[in-house]
Amino acid sequence: MKIAGNDILIQSLIKEEVEYIFGYPGGAALHIYDAIFNQNQIQHILVRHEQGATHAADGYARATGKPGVVLVTSGPGATNAITGIATAFMDSIPMIIISGQVAKHLIGTDAFQETDMIGISRPIVKHSFSVESAEDIPEIVKQAFYIATSGRPGPVVIDVPKDTTSPDELFDFVYPDSAHIRSYNPPISPEKKQIERAVEAMLKARQPVIYAGGGAINSNASSELIKLNDILDFPVTNTLMGLGVYPATHKRFLGMLGMHGTYQANMAMHNADLIIAIGARFDDRITNTPKLFAPNAKIIHFDVDQSSVSKIIEANIAVFGQVKDSLQEILNELESRRNEIDEKKLDDWKQQIKYWKEKHGLDHKMHLSESNEHPIMPQAVVQHVYNITNGDAFITSDVGQHQMFAAQYYHFDEPRKWINSGGLGTMGFGLPAALGVKLAFRDSEVVCITGEGSIQMCIQELSTCTQYNLPIKIININNEALGMVKQWQDMNYSGRHSESTYQSSLPNFVELVESYGHVGIKIEKNSDLKKGLEEAFAIKDKLVFVDVYVDPDEHVYPMLVAPNGSLKDMWLSKDNKV
Amino acid sequence: MQRELSIILENKPGALVRVVGLFHQRGYNIESLHVDPVTDLTKFRYIEERLDLKLEENEVSHLLIKTTVSDNLLRQILRQINKLIDVLLAEENLDT
Ligand SMILES: Cc1ncc(C[n+]2csc(CCOP(=O)(O)OP(=O)(O)O)c2C)c(N)n1
Ligand SMILES: [Mg+2]
Repeated sequence: MKIAGNDILIQSLIKEEVEYIFGYPGGAALHIYDAIFNQNQIQHILVRHEQGATHAADGYARATGKPGVVLVTSGPGATNAITGIATAFMDSIPMIIISGQVAKHLIGTDAFQETDMIGISRPIVKHSFSVESAEDIPEIVKQAFYIATSGRPGPVVIDVPKDTTSPDELFDFVYPDSAHIRSYNPPISPEKKQIERAVEAMLKARQPVIYAGGGAINSNASSELIKLNDILDFPVTNTLMGLGVYPATHKRFLGMLGMHGTYQANMAMHNADLIIAIGARFDDRITNTPKLFAPNAKIIHFDVDQSSVSKIIEANIAVFGQVKDSLQEILNELESRRNEIDEKKLDDWKQQIKYWKEKHGLDHKMHLSESNEHPIMPQAVVQHVYNITNGDAFITSDVGQHQMFAAQYYHFDEPRKWINSGGLGTMGFGLPAALGVKLAFRDSEVVCITGEGSIQMCIQELSTCTQYNLPIKIININNEALGMVKQWQDMNYSGRHSESTYQSSLPNFVELVESYGHVGIKIEKNSDLKKGLEEAFAIKDKLVFVDVYVDPDEHVYPMLVAPNGSLKDMWLSKDNKV
Repeated sequence: MQRELSIILENKPGALVRVVGLFHQRGYNIESLHVDPVTDLTKFRYIEERLDLKLEENEVSHLLIKTTVSDNLLRQILRQINKLIDVLLAEENLDT
C-alpha cells in the first residue's frame, strides 16, 4: 500500500510503539498533525508551551525508560523546545524531537518561521537528522530511536521540511526491522581483564565506597548493584541523579553526596581508599575542587561512555560497557572468589561511618515540631509527604532549595521514582515532567515538589492537566523568594539580596489553580501542616496544589565550602563549618 | 605540543560541522584544518580491516586538524570525536 510522507512518519512512530506524542502544532507541522488526526494508536498531548512538551516527554522517559517523543513546528516552536532538549541531553535521557521545517525550496531564504534547528540544537543533541525525502523517513526514524536509546542515551532531533510530509505524493511504506550504523558501535561487553582487576581491587579495599549515578539508572542496573553489594557489603552513596538506584532505607546507604550531600557520604568519599564509580561522571557538584578530591582513593570507573572516564578524575581501572552487563560480570567473577572475602576487614570503616552519621547525619526530628511559635520548616513538608505516600510516590522536582530538601528527605527505595533536572538544573521542569509521568503511571501517586519561583516558569501546563484529567499533586514550598539564590547571597555576598525576592507580587496560587478547575490548599501554620497535606492526598480524582508557606530564612545544609574546598569541607549550619 | 588528528567521517551534509563545532564547544582551538573526500582508498584499507567494513570512493571524507594539546586532553578530544555518530575513526596522525 502506498501512503504519503506525513502518514509514513506517524506509521513509523507506531512501529516504534510510541504511546504519546507531546506537542504543539503550527504551519510547518500541519501535514503531520493531519496524519495524527487520521489514526488512533498514538495519543497526542497538547501542551501549552513547547518547553512543556519536552519536559513532559522527558519525565515520561525517565519514569518508563522508554524514549519520549516531541513534535513541534518550525521557528518559534523549535526554539521553544531548546531548553528541554538541553535538559534531556545533560542527563542522558532518550528523546526524539520532531521539528517541522519550512519546505526544502525555502530553506536558506529567511522564510516565515524558518530557523536552523539542526544548527541551534547541534551542541545539545546526541545526533540529528534532516529529512530529504519522504522515502527516507522510516530509515531515519529507526536510526533515531536506536541512537537515542543505545549506549549513553540522549535526545535526537529529526528536522522535517514541510514538503517531505506532503499528502500529495505517495510512497511504499516499509519499516526496517533493525538499525545498523557503521560508524556507531556503542560498547557492549566489558573487557575480561578489567573485570578481574576491578574485583581484585574490591577484595583488597579496606575503605571502599560505591558511588552510583544516573548512568546506573539509565542502564537499569539497580538489581545488579543490590546483588553485588549483598556480597560486598560496602557503603553506598548516590548522586542527585542516581537516587533510588540503591535503596535509601538500606543500612549501607550513606545518602546523597556532593554539594548538598550528607556529612557521612562526603566524608566517606574523601577518606576512601577505593571509589567504585558506577554510571557517574565526577561532575563539579560532586568533586568540589578536583585536585583535592579523595586524595587516597583508587578509582574504578564503570561507564558506557569512554569520554566520561578520566575526564575530571583519572580512573585507575576503567570498565567500558553497559554498566548492567559489567556489574553482572563482576558478580560472576566475585562469586568464584567468594572465599577470599574477609568481612572483618571492613569493620573499622563501618564503625567510622557510623560515627560520622551519628555525629552530623541529617536530623529528622528537629523540623517536625507542630508549635506555631516557629514557621513551617521546608524539610518537614518533605518528611510529611514521604510518610503520607509511604515513600512510594514518583517525585518530580524543580531547581532550588526545595529540590535539595526533596532529595535529602524523601528516601527513594527504587530507581526512576525521583525525576529531576540534575545536569542543566532547569527551573520549570517539575510540573510538565509530572504530567508526563502521570500519563505513564495513571494509578500511581505523582507529586511535584516545587518552589514558587520554579512553578511559575511552566505554570501554563496546569491547563494541560485539566484537559487530560491528570490528578497530580503539586507541593509548592513557598519561601517567597528565589531561595537558593538568596542562600548564596547570604553566604557569599554579605546578605545582599539582589533580585531574589518579588516584593509581594506573587499570585494567589489557590485562586489561580482553581481557575483551571483544580483544588488549591493554602497552609501557613505548623499546626495545619500535617492535616493539610493529608487532606490533599486524600483527594484522588483532582489535581491538588498545596501552597505551603515556609521559613524564608532557612538554608540547605550540609553545603560544600567552595571554591577551593574538598569534600570534607562543609557548612553544617549557618555558623558551623567543618 | 602541536599534534595532528586524522579523522575519517561520513561524507554527508552536516558531518564536518559536528567535528568542528565540538572543538569550539569544548574549548579546544583549531590551528589548521584540511578536508577532502577520499577518492583513493588504498591508503585507508587499514580502516576497512579495523572496522570490518567496505568503503566506496567518495563515501567518506578525510579530515586533518592541527591543535596544541597535552596527552590527557588529546585522549579526551579523540574520545569525544569518536563518539560523534558520523565519525568512523579519529586518531592522532603519527606519520607527520
Ligand atoms: C531556568 C533557570 N533560571 C535560573 C536558574 C537559577 N536558579 C537556581 S535556583 C533558583 C531559585 C529557585 O527559586 P524557587 O523555585 O522558588 O526555589 P527555592 O530555592 O526558593 O526553593 C534560581 C533562580 C535556574 N536554575 N534555572
Ligand atoms: Mg522559592
